Amino acid sequence: MRLEEITRSVDTLPAMGGAALRVLALIEDAQASAARIEKALREDPGVTANLLRLANSAYFGIPSRIGSLRQAVSLLGLRRVTQMVVAACAAAVLQRPVEGYDLPAGELWRHSLAVSVAAEGLVRELGIGAGEEIFTAALLHDVGKIVLGRFVCEEMARIEAALGRGLTFEEAETAALGVDHAAVGADLLARWALPADIVYAVRWHHDPDRAPASHPMLDVVHVANVLCRMIGIGLGREGLQTEPSETVTRRLGVGTGHLERVASRTLQWANELAQALAA
Amino acid sequence: MNLTVMVGDMKTGAAGDTIVTHALGSCLGLVVYDPVLKIGGLLHAMLPLSSINPEKAQANPAMFVDTGVPLLFRSLYEQGALKSRLQVKAAGCGAPMGRNEVFKIGERNYTVLKKLLWKNNILLAAEDVGGSQSRTLHFDLATGEVVVASNGTRKPL
Repeated sequence: MRLEEITRSVDTLPAMGGAALRVLALIEDAQASAARIEKALREDPGVTANLLRLANSAYFGIPSRIGSLRQAVSLLGLRRVTQMVVAACAAAVLQRPVEGYDLPAGELWRHSLAVSVAAEGLVRELGIGAGEEIFTAALLHDVGKIVLGRFVCEEMARIEAALGRGLTFEEAETAALGVDHAAVGADLLARWALPADIVYAVRWHHDPDRAPASHPMLDVVHVANVLCRMIGIGLGREGLQTEPSETVTRRLGVGTGHLERVASRTLQWANELAQALAA
Repeated sequence: MNLTVMVGDMKTGAAGDTIVTHALGSCLGLVVYDPVLKIGGLLHAMLPLSSINPEKAQANPAMFVDTGVPLLFRSLYEQGALKSRLQVKAAGCGAPMGRNEVFKIGERNYTVLKKLLWKNNILLAAEDVGGSQSRTLHFDLATGEVVVASNGTRKPL
């Protein structure tokens, strides 16, 4: 029924853009170089332009103006530039309004950037390692909403009923639709051939206690997502109807003070990054 | 004029203005109104204490309850508002579901607000705090009326 329709909808969603896929293939490639990224982006000047806008955002901390891809790679490193290519490609999809979740145009994008910033902030604040691709995992954690939004909208009465029984929003999605946005997002990213740890973090970001194994990237995305919603970035229809895992906060050793310090730095960076790619 | 208060922001206005703030989660939304002068203001503060990031507090006192609340009251006193007439209403301070103590920022925002008001002998005329829903506040400066909108429902505060 609904589940089949949702799966068909995932099938028909256009891929994120050839450029992102070509560059993503380079993430785990030891031979990757500025020249190879340049080649991958040659037919996509728009992506390069967006990438340079992001690279010049104060968040990445390069005081001089970056004017070319080569310069970006030498100043920020290959890994950072790859993350920016993915962000530049994902922006087009994530900037759209998302029905069902009541997110106006630009708000899912701002939320996604905020969770990336907060996740990297938590990693620094806690002095832990959470995998180099945490920025990308955080950026793409809600990508499933762009598929599921239409179905959430159509089944809102059943979702409301489930929420009334005390379920979290993602549990209500599963009750009404047979699947939640985390599972749909992971499915989508797996098809786009993203690295396995990113897909894993996206899959379990609302339910880390049920994940087959713990993973610091997943733990950090889980906490960063709740934190960004608490400070009003990407709240929408879901609000705070989600339940942060106590196992995760214990495992990370995160306290309220850590969260408040990270929150105090997140809003401004997220707004600046969102504006870097605003029309 | 229609004024919008962003997160970590404060605005004041007078009769004829409306002030709106969206997406209150754990943040505090505080409305203060002088019904005689028909002036008032709205604060959307994110975190309880400025000591967590003094640099940010310097640049933007409205981000924190302990610096934002005095800022709002001072702005209104400077415009002639009288303490004895002020109507003060609070909304927001929500929390995620469950019992995870680490995420009690909303509760801490509310506690710091209550302490500040208590020290200054000011009572809350109304409040709509806690819970897990997102709230939007609409403040009409001509009447002092505050409406809380949440998931399609609207009710006066």
